[in-house]
Parts: sequence; C-alpha cells; structure tokens
Amino acid sequence: MNQGSSLKRYAITRLALVVPMVFILLTLVFLLMRVAPGNPVSASLGGHAPPAVIKEISHQLGYDKPVYVQYGHYLGQIIRGNFGTTISDRRSVGSIILVNGAATLELTFFAMIVAVFVGMLIGLLSGRYRDSPLDTGGRLFGIVVYATPVFFLGLLAQLIFGVWLGWLPISDQASPITQALLQTHTNIFFLDAIIDGNWSALWDITQHLILPATTLGIVYGGVFIRLIRVNVIRTMKEDYIEAARARGIKERSVVYHHAFRNALVPVITVVGLQLALLLGGAILTETTFNWPGLGHELYIYLQNRDYAAVQGIVVVFALVVVAASIVIDFANAFIDPRVRY
Amino acid sequence: MHLRPRLRYLVVLGLAGLVLAAVGVTAAQSKPLAANHSTASTILDGTTDTVTNVDPAGNYDYGSGTVDILIYQHLLDLNAGSTIPAPSLATGCKANASVTVWTCTLRKGVKFSNGDPFTSTDVKWSFDRVNKIHDPSGIWGLISNLKSVTTSGPYSVSFHLSTAQSTWPYILATGAGEIVDHKVYPATKLVANTDVKDLVGTGPYTLSKFTPGQQAVFAPNPNYAGENGKLANGGLIITYYSKSSTMKLDLQKGTIDMAFRDFTPTEYTALGKTSGVTLYKGKGVGIRYLVLNVKRAPTNKLAVRKAIAYLFPRQDIATRVYHGQVQPLYSMPPAGLPGHTNAFGELYGMAPNAAKAKAVLAAGHIKTPVPLTVWWTPSHYGDASADEYTEIQRSLNASGLFKVTLKSAEWATYSKTLGTQYGAFQLGWFPDYPDAEDYITPFYGTKSNFTSNGYSNAKMDAIIKNEEGAKTLAQRLTYIKQAQVIAAQDAPIIPYWQNSMLVVGRSNIHNMKKTIDLDYLMRFWLLSKS
Repeated sequence: MNQGSSLKRYAITRLALVVPMVFILLTLVFLLMRVAPGNPVSASLGGHAPPAVIKEISHQLGYDKPVYVQYGHYLGQIIRGNFGTTISDRRSVGSIILVNGAATLELTFFAMIVAVFVGMLIGLLSGRYRDSPLDTGGRLFGIVVYATPVFFLGLLAQLIFGVWLGWLPISDQASPITQALLQTHTNIFFLDAIIDGNWSALWDITQHLILPATTLGIVYGGVFIRLIRVNVIRTMKEDYIEAARARGIKERSVVYHHAFRNALVPVITVVGLQLALLLGGAILTETTFNWPGLGHELYIYLQNRDYAAVQGIVVVFALVVVAASIVIDFANAFIDPRVRY
Repeated sequence: MHLRPRLRYLVVLGLAGLVLAAVGVTAAQSKPLAANHSTASTILDGTTDTVTNVDPAGNYDYGSGTVDILIYQHLLDLNAGSTIPAPSLATGCKANASVTVWTCTLRKGVKFSNGDPFTSTDVKWSFDRVNKIHDPSGIWGLISNLKSVTTSGPYSVSFHLSTAQSTWPYILATGAGEIVDHKVYPATKLVANTDVKDLVGTGPYTLSKFTPGQQAVFAPNPNYAGENGKLANGGLIITYYSKSSTMKLDLQKGTIDMAFRDFTPTEYTALGKTSGVTLYKGKGVGIRYLVLNVKRAPTNKLAVRKAIAYLFPRQDIATRVYHGQVQPLYSMPPAGLPGHTNAFGELYGMAPNAAKAKAVLAAGHIKTPVPLTVWWTPSHYGDASADEYTEIQRSLNASGLFKVTLKSAEWATYSKTLGTQYGAFQLGWFPDYPDAEDYITPFYGTKSNFTSNGYSNAKMDAIIKNEEGAKTLAQRLTYIKQAQVIAAQDAPIIPYWQNSMLVVGRSNIHNMKKTIDLDYLMRFWLLSKS
C-alpha cells in the first residue's frame, strides 16, 4: 500500500472517530448537568418566589419533562447547529462562543507564546548546561511554576505588579474607556485595535494582556522546560552531534543548529496536547483577571445552573481539543508512517 | 547573497527595533483616549452584579434593575431621601373607594430619548407586554393583581385590580412599572440586550453600548426631564466583575472610581481604611432571618421557638461576623421604614437571655438540651454565612438548652427544599419595594408564604387582608404594627439583621451621600466626578 492511500485511510478513520467522541461528550455533559441538584429557575428564584411560581416557570421551560424527552430535544437542536439560548440572560450560545471565545483565543494565543518561549529558553539552557547551577535553577523553576495553582500565581502577579509597583493593570482586556470606545470587528481586541490603527488602544490592550498571558504561559511553560531539557540532553548524545564536533563545528552551532532543532520535534506534539490544559487553566486565569473569555462565562453560568450555556461552552472546549489533537495526529502521521492505522 | 547567521540576526533585530520605534512614535502622536470633556467626567463604576435582561419585561434581579433605572422612568418614582413614591411620569395617582382602581394623570411634554412623545398608550403598552411576554426571568408576578389597564385620552390611565391593593403606587415604582416606547418595544417579545438603539426610555441616560458580562456604557439622555433636570456627570461606565477581590484591587488602583455591590465584610473593612477611598454607609433594606418550621419537631413547639428568640446573638453576629456593617434587627420590616417596630426586642429583649429561655422551655415541659438541626447555604448569601451560623450555634449551645447541629446545602438544592424538609433554616430577603408590607405578606400569609414552614394564623391573614384594603397610610401602618406583634408572639421566623447600603468611592466622586437611603437605589445621575 502506498503512503498516500495509507495516510488517506488514517485521516478518514481518525475523522470518523470524532463523531462518537463528541456524542459521548454531549451526553455526559447533559447528564451531569441534570444530575447536579437544582435547575436555573430554582437557582435564580428560589428563596424569593413562591413554589407555585417556580413550578410554573420550570414547566414553561420544560424542566419538568422526562429526562429522555429533554435529551432528545437537546440532541435535535445540536444536530441543527443550534446550541440554544442561555436561560439566565437570553444570549445565544453561538454569540457567546464568538464573542467570549475570541477573548479566550486572544489570551491562550499569547499565553502559548509565553509558554513556548519560556520553555524553550530555560529548557535549552538547562539541557545545554546540564547539572550546573543554571540547570538546577531551571528545573526547580519548571517544577515550582507548574505545581503552583494558576490563580495563586495570578493573585501574586496582581498584587506585586499591579498594586504595589503599579506597573500594569490587573483586570479585563482593556481599560473601561478604551473598551467603551473600541470598535469591535473580530472581538479580538488586539486585532481590532490594529485594524482601526488605534495605537493608544493597542498599547492599553497590550498592557492588559501582559499579566494574564504571562501568568498562564509561565505555568504551562514548566512542562516545556522539562521536556525540552530532556530532549536536548538526549539529542546531545547522538552520534551525529559527536560527528559535528569532530568536523570542528563550533559548540554553539552544534547546540543551536543541530541539537536544539532536533530536540524540538517531539515538542510540537506536546504543544497541541497542552492546548487542552491551557483551556482548563484559562478558566481560572480568566476569573482571576476578570478576563471575559469562555472560561469566565462558564464559571458564571455554572453558578446559575444555566444548562444551555454550560452545555454549549463545554462542547466548544471539547471540540477545540478534539480539533487540536486531530491536527497533531495528522502531523505525526505525515511525518512518521508508523503511527498510521 | 547568503548572509552569515550572525549578520542575519542583526538585521532581524534592527528591523524589529524600527517597527517598535514606529509604533512608539505613532503612539506618541495619536490622540489620547480620554481627550474630550464627557469622557473625563464619565463615572467608572464596578459591580459583581449580573444583568439578565435590560428590557424591563424580562428581568427581576438587582443587576438588571440598576441598569433599568438609568434608562427608564416610572409613573411614580422613589426620589432620593424618601421611601414614598412621588410623581414622576405621572403628576399623581388616586384610588377609588374600594382601592381596586388606580387612576393616574400623566405629565405632558415628556419625550423618550429617541424623540417620541410619551402618552398613555405607552403606559398601557408597557404593562400589557409584561403580562403577554410572561418571561421566566420577568417581573410579571408583581403585577399579578392587575386585571387590565385602560386609557382615557393621551394623559390619563387607569389600573383595574382584581383585589384591593393599597400599595399599588409602590408597584408602579418597581421594575414592573418601567415605561417603554410602544413604537419600539415589541408587544410579545423582549428587546435583546445588545440592541441598544431599541432600548429607549425617558430616564437620565441612554445605553450606548452593552457587552454582556463585561460592560454597560451610558451617555446622557438629552430629553431627560427628571428629578434634578440635569445630570451631574457626563456619562457612566459599569464594569462587571466575577470576583470582588479583583474589583477591590481595581478600585485601589484607580481603574474604577467607585464600586456598588458587593464586597465581603473583610474587604469593606479594608477599603474603609484605604487612603483615597471612602466607604459610604447608610441604612439598608436587605434582611437576614431564621425560618422555623412550625410543623416539624422540635420547632413545632412554640416554647422552643420562643427559647431560640430569647437566645439569639444578634449583636455578636453584627460585630464579630460583619464588623458593624449590619445592624441587629428585631422585626421583619427593617428599621427606618414606616411601621417598623422592635417587636422581638420588646417581647424577648434586646440581648440574649438564657434564664428566660430556660424558663419558657420548662413551662412548655421541653426536655433539654433540645437537639436542633439548623441549615444554611454557603455561597448564595455570601462567604460570611459560615461564621454567622457558627455564631448562632455557639450562642444556643452555650446556654446548655440546645444542642445545635449545623448542616449546609448548596443553593440549588437548598432553595428547592426549604421548609419541605428543613426544620430551621437561613434565608435572606430583599424587598420588591421599600414598604413594610413587603416584609409581612410573603412570610406570614397562609397563601402567600413562600418559605413552606407551615405557618398559618387566621388572625394574621385577616390583618394582612385589612392592610391591603386600607385607605390611608395611617391605617396601613396600624395593621402592619399589629402583624409584627403577632409575628413576634408566634415566632415562626426570627429576623436578626438588616444590612447597610454600602458604597465605596474614590475621592474624585462627589454627592454619594445623596443617593444612600432606604430605597437602596444607586442614582448615578446625582454623582459628579472631579
């Protein structure tokens, strides 16, 4: 069988697996929300409205119907591409995904840049100067930041850089005035400011990005530090490195042009998988920094027991992770024929 | 030509530097954001409230209500410093002899923010659509007594009620009575929050931008002719926070000028000591109370309920748990509202009295210590609830007369259960309108009691009915006082604190005290910024 047809078969099989994965996920989310006590009506009106009113509203919204009926209705809407409308504030889940998803994308994009940069820099230096104080420091840093809860790191960053030093803003995507005056095109504030040529807004937005992106990025950079370090050390022991040295190539060139580049190849796979963790961390980061992303909205809608919103947002998170893992799998299958079915 | 690697790096660095320099120069030359006067006098507020729907027919929560009073007006409004509804879009309202028809004369010459004239058609439209839309999140429950609305010319409107309701003027001043433009608002569906051009009212501001969960931006309404005629500021931006700790840091930094609702007691105390920040405090109308199930043991025994009333540690809760930010409360209607009495204080004393508690239990032949399970909920009423109920447990147990077990349930379960399973449980109340009746009817009427604690007293029902049909304020207050006496005697509910209206503002915000009163309304239009 030639390479082209085996890759095609792998791609088709891999894509086909997405359907049952997503179906299982949708069902799990639906059931978990129903199993959790309460519903959106009791969450908002309980303790204030008479039971008869709560019952009437619950009936109006269909929460008194059998679970399987609610499930059928839910699946039918999803199949039609309708993620529904939130119960608490009447927003279409689609618009939440577009608007707030853009904010999460902005944060995770810059956080990933920080994570990769920090990971690469420290990982490379640690691997290059193995067993030196630099290596010990780098490894310790990687473990500490990865073990530290992201919200705690965020709070520290807010206190130190935001309040005590007063260098950076500590919340939101932009200052209130900037946000009020900014024309939204893509809902990614950074891009919108560039599109408008509004450089003072761009600077304001950049300042607001620094703390949350750095906080989230550093935590996940800890993973890359250790991975890159190990790969650099392993690669440095390879025969072709010895050969390069024997040919008289300078050590710096051996490390950066030969060892490091090859050490990065497995890291690309991990970057895609880390996206899932990054999205999870984004929830905590967004609530700490009042960053209006999907994680922030999920936190609020969970408190309100807003089934439609929670289901929709969790599904989006899952689909993003699924898509990222598919892209990575395809990349791996393309590079390495051994991983194909 | 193939550049050597090192030279390649230098070229890249140089290009990057040029780009940064270009950005920097352009940034230096671009106009500052807040260049114009209206931006400089725009008040920046923070809150942890949320907004469900801006359309008045679709909300029944405080966060949405705060936005609505900026955009809409009522026939009667609660003006600063008064808890009595005063003429606003109406010049006056009168009831018929049976208090079942209220007729209001409308003010002439009023315009909506889009220039449309305000007439009786708008009033009828506004009320009718609340009922027609019947939104699950909406306020239709408050006008459940309304049979129909009729108009008599462009400046007269009559409300026909099913039963007598002396507090109808208060209902007109609530979110149910917000007046919308009949030419813009659909009869049977809500206007979306982001359709700001359609969110038209006669209030002091227009909503110029709304980003759900993030920000609401208000600009002055040029057609506003309200309480003071002229706004004291050039606009308002409300930023929505999910955590009060973040809001506190932003306030300290000066990112926002003020914050209203809500901080923890510890945060309020810390902010009160922060330089450049002032904590404003006034009497509030929110209350906290302990509900006792009169159908379940041991609280089905009057002696047990009275003993709890004798032992209740109101002052300890106010001081130790809330740092003085709440006041002990001795009757359901809070102090400051017309008709309030210290009914529990007069009957059971203003401080815990173990001797009297012991005596009442002995007289009731109740074996002590009485095992009692008290339920509370961890998050809905704030983080201090845990300390609050620990304090209650401590006080009851310390008397030797009770053995209290505390149990908690998360709000979603708790709010569905209440008196159907709990014997003694925590609840809080925020009124629909600042009148003592709203602290009596929902708790003590046999049909209107929402706590499911089984309380029913024919005498109390009669008092409530008389109060609803009373023709004068003096008559109403007499009945309200009678109701409080019975409430204390039967003790199915023990009120224990009323909140304060707390607002935190930086030193550049002025006139805050004008809006701090029992109406618990943040009248941003009265505030100025230097």
